[in-house]
This record gives sequence, C-alpha cells and structure tokens, in this order.
Amino acid sequence: MAGISLKNITKSWGAFVGVDNQSLEVHDKEFLVLLGPSGCGKTTTMRMIAGLEDPTSGEILIGERIVNDDLPKDRDIAMVFQNYGLYPHMTVFDNIAYPLKVRGTPKSEIAPRVNKAAEQVELTEFLHRKPKALSGGQRQRVALARAIVRTPQVFLMDEPLSNLDAKLRVTMRAELKHLSHQMQITTVYVTHDQIEAMTLADRIAVMKSGRIQQLGTPEEIYNDPANLFVASFIGSPAMNLIHGTVKDGQFITAGGRDVMKAGKGNRDNIVLGVRPEDLSIVDAGTGDFDVPVYAFENTGESVLVTGQFGKQRITAKGGRHVRKEIDEVVGIKADPDHIYMFDAKGGGRLDL
Amino acid sequence: MTEARMLSGRRKKQFWGSLHLVLILAAIFVMLIPIIWIAMAAFKTHVDVYQLKLQFTPTLENFKIVFDAPYFLGHKLMNSTIVAFVTVLFAIPIATCAAYSFSRFRLRGETMMLVMILATQFVPAVVIVLPFFVMFRDLGILDTRLGLILVNLAIVMPFAIWMIKGFIDGIPIDTEEAALVDGSTRIQVIRNIVLPMAAPGLVTAGIFCFIIAWNEFLFALILTSKDAVTLPIGLALFKAEEGDLWNLLAAAGIIIMVPMFVLALIIQKHFVQGMTMGAVR
Repeated sequence: MAGISLKNITKSWGAFVGVDNQSLEVHDKEFLVLLGPSGCGKTTTMRMIAGLEDPTSGEILIGERIVNDDLPKDRDIAMVFQNYGLYPHMTVFDNIAYPLKVRGTPKSEIAPRVNKAAEQVELTEFLHRKPKALSGGQRQRVALARAIVRTPQVFLMDEPLSNLDAKLRVTMRAELKHLSHQMQITTVYVTHDQIEAMTLADRIAVMKSGRIQQLGTPEEIYNDPANLFVASFIGSPAMNLIHGTVKDGQFITAGGRDVMKAGKGNRDNIVLGVRPEDLSIVDAGTGDFDVPVYAFENTGESVLVTGQFGKQRITAKGGRHVRKEIDEVVGIKADPDHIYMFDAKGGGRLDL
Repeated sequence: MTEARMLSGRRKKQFWGSLHLVLILAAIFVMLIPIIWIAMAAFKTHVDVYQLKLQFTPTLENFKIVFDAPYFLGHKLMNSTIVAFVTVLFAIPIATCAAYSFSRFRLRGETMMLVMILATQFVPAVVIVLPFFVMFRDLGILDTRLGLILVNLAIVMPFAIWMIKGFIDGIPIDTEEAALVDGSTRIQVIRNIVLPMAAPGLVTAGIFCFIIAWNEFLFALILTSKDAVTLPIGLALFKAEEGDLWNLLAAAGIIIMVPMFVLALIIQKHFVQGMTMGAVR
C-alpha cells in the first residue's frame, strides 16, 4: 500500500507543454480521478506515473521511493487501458495469468489466483475463450481481472469505460466502485466523463492545458468551483454562465435588460454562474426576472426550460410535471446561496 | 408503361452484366494462355510441341530428361532452394528487429532512413550488378551460393522491413504497454506479445522474400557460372544447336512455377493485404 506524489512534474515535447510544473499528492488507498477535456494532460500524467512516459523534469514517488528511473515493471502498479490492451493470441485465463507468469509466480499459485480474480469480475465461464470471442464489457472485465490478479501498490485506469455503450458503462461503473471499495488500493483514474468522476472519486483533480485547475472532493468541485473552467466543465446540463456587470449590489446582464440582486460593489466584466438545478421556474413577475421561453425539453425525470434574454440564454431545471410553451413568459428565481461570480477575463472566482 | 420501363431496365442490367463477364473471361484467357501452353508443352513430346493440338499422349519423359545429364536440373533446384531458404532465414529476423525499432521508437533521422531503405529499390539492378561482380571476384565468392544469398538479402531486406513494419504498426501499442506494466522487459514483450501477434505477417513477408529470391534472375545470371546456377538461369541450358528444346524448357518452367503457386495459395489472403500495406505505408 502506498500513496503517490508528484513533485513539480513537467512534460514537454519540444515547445509543446503537456503537463506544466504540477504537484499532486495521492493518499494511500485513495481513489483519485484526473478529469478534464482531451489534451489536458491527464493521460500524460498517468502515463508518467506508470513509467510509460518520462517526465521532462520533476520527481515521481510511489510510497517513499523515487521511481523516475524505474521501468514500468519495477513500479509495482497495474494498469487498465482504454482499448483494454488484451493479448489477443492468449485465452482469457492466460491473459489474466500473464502478470503472474512473467513475474515468476510458482505455477501452483497461478491457477487459484486467476480463478479468484475471474470470480471477482464474473468471468469464470469465459476463461478458455480468446478475447475476440468476448463482448466489449467482458473484455474490459478481463483487463480488470488482469489488474487485480496481483495486489499492486497502485491501480492506474485510463478511461476504462469510455469504449462501452452507455448502459453498460453505468453498470460497470457501479462494479468498479464496489471492487475498489473491496480492494482498498490507491487508484488513479483518468476520465473526461464528469459523472464517472463524481461517482467514483474520493477526490477529483480537474485539469486543463496541463495544469490542475482544482483539487477537491466531488462535493467541493461541484458546489465550490474554483474558476470559470471548473464551473463550466462540471455539471450536466452545464452551469448557466451569464455575462454582465455588478453595480450597487445588482447584477445587470450584458445589454442591461435584466437585473437581479446579486454581488456587491461595482465591477465590470463579470460572469455570473448558476446551475440549472439551483434555478426554479415560477410565475411571471414573482421571480428574480422574467424571460420568454426559448425551448422546453422534457427528459422524463425533469424538464429543462431555456429562456432567452438579449443574446444570452438561461436554462432552468424544473419538476417533471412542469409544462411551458415556447414564447410563454416565465419567472426565474435563483437560489442566492448557489450563485457564483467569476472574472470574465481571467476566469477566476470572485468573492462578490 | 412502367412495367415496360422496368423490363428494359432489367435488360440493360443483363447486357452490362454479360459484357462484364465476357471482358473478365477475355482477360483471364490472355493471362492464362502462356501458362496453359507451358503446362501442355511440358507433357508433350518434342514433335508434338510444334503443333497446337489439344489432344496428345501425355508423357513424363521431359521431366526425366531435365534431371539427367547433361542438364542436371536437380542441382539447380537444390541451389535455388538453398539460396531462397537461407535468404529468408536471415532476412526475416533481421528485418523484424529493424521494423520493430522503426515502428516503436522515435529514432534520429528515422524518416530519412526509411526513405533511403526504400530508395535502394529504385536503383536498377543492371547498374549495381557490375560492382557486385568485381567485389565478389576479389572476395572469391563468385559462383557460390554464399554470394547469391548475400545479394538476395540485399534485394529482399527493404521489402521485408517495410512489410513487417506495416504489420507491427497494426499491433495496438496499448497491448505492448499493458505487457510492460504487467512486468515484462522489452525483450519479453517482443517474445511474448509482438512476435506471436505479428506471426501471420512474418510468414507472409517470409514467403514474399522466398518468391523474390526464387525468381531472381539478373544477379544469378552474372554472378554464377556453374556451381551455383539457379533454376531461372538453368532454363538457358535448353538452347541447343538443333534449336530451343521447348518441351524441356516447359518442364523446367513447371518446376519453377509449381512451388510459387503452392506458396501463393497458402498466403493468398495475406498476400493482398501485405501488398496493400506496403503500398500505403
């Protein structure tokens, strides 16, 4: 068992900087998710931990040991790849057994351990098959079983669910969560799927352009976004971001059409962020402001009402029995505790 | 009205369909004629060869004659087999190492090297056969199998490297990285993962090289005279004072062709894939 620490890690290819002088502590037994859009450096960070990529500068520690110069095989890690990385010429049994065989585990120990791992991911009946005779979900289970057959110090998972269809992804996500709870092994998990991140993580590191934007529990990330990027990246439907100015404790939307009570002092170039679920749809005239309905969407479990004012739009989530017509004027009321102000230029969070 | 139009549409389709068939048959006919001629001539007597009749009494006499004195085709067959076989035996492992490095590591001047390897293929053989002749004469390996093997290696290696690189490129890097993380050294990755996965490609490349070496004519013509003469050169033996011994030539031709047909049959699937892979990459 061991934590991981990255100290001032930089990875660059020529002039291109993939990871920009980042430090990160992953605690022992913690499930840490690296979350961000493609090209943000999350996979590169993980590959540096795995030893598949060498950092340009900085130190990587697994436990107490600096592993910069260690080969992947000497880092005592297991990794699950996005494309599974199975060995197509071997049976499922041999795939799972490979990490044991190549590390010289006694033959008598291999079979029981492979069987146990296969059992944990419900693959027992497929052990004699080749990967190509398996479905996507089953292949991913083989990859998982291969990772858990040994008890490594660290699990690394690189978008392990992204090649599965939506339904299977949800199932596998729950299984993964259950498994990781059982195993109690330090895990770093890379994904661009915020729901995976929210549901699986003990802590999330949101990354963009090679930098960690915010590191915190899912709750902190969701309820207390550090900047505009984190605010806009997390949440589905996305947070409403409305440009405007604050004047004497009033937020005035760009174009000056609508005003609501928010913020303090005077400041230009403000982005006000509020999540659709923190807005409620009320009768015209009784909310913070009135807007005509631009679109009405019924998702079954809730409805989304999008209103338009000037060139900006705002989406509110309503109960599943709410019905509105396009162009109907509705009132929108915001939860004052969950309004965030950002600097429109730098993107930083403002305490207004 | 509409029915009539439909009918004429169907007729049109039928017409183009049959034209298609006729053209294909014509093409097949043109391509197969020489082979059919040889196949028949090989079993004809000397007298029958000059007549284009389809009905004749087949004889195996020709095959007997070519293996006897003074032709000793068996010796040439042995030379061809050894040269082609040993060429493949050395070419494939060496080319695999080169191809793996080109495919998986970023090397300094990689593209340059790859292009240069390919460029050796553009040099007309006639241009370099003379230097080879002089070199081999000085080294004392003229008219030896060793000399031919060296030359053939030089000929097939670029092919082999490019082809095998194509196959290795097709192996997902994830699989190799998984093996590295699972505890393998680079050598173990190559032995346990890459080679088994690339095996069909290696076999295809091997057969490809075998065919090239087997059919090689120009270098063998210049660099051998007696001891190391290969089958294609052996054909020249059948030019006698009384004219060309077509029936014997045909028999020898069959002996050259049959192994190639067998190999082509084995790899016909990979053959096309291998050719297109080499072409695109």
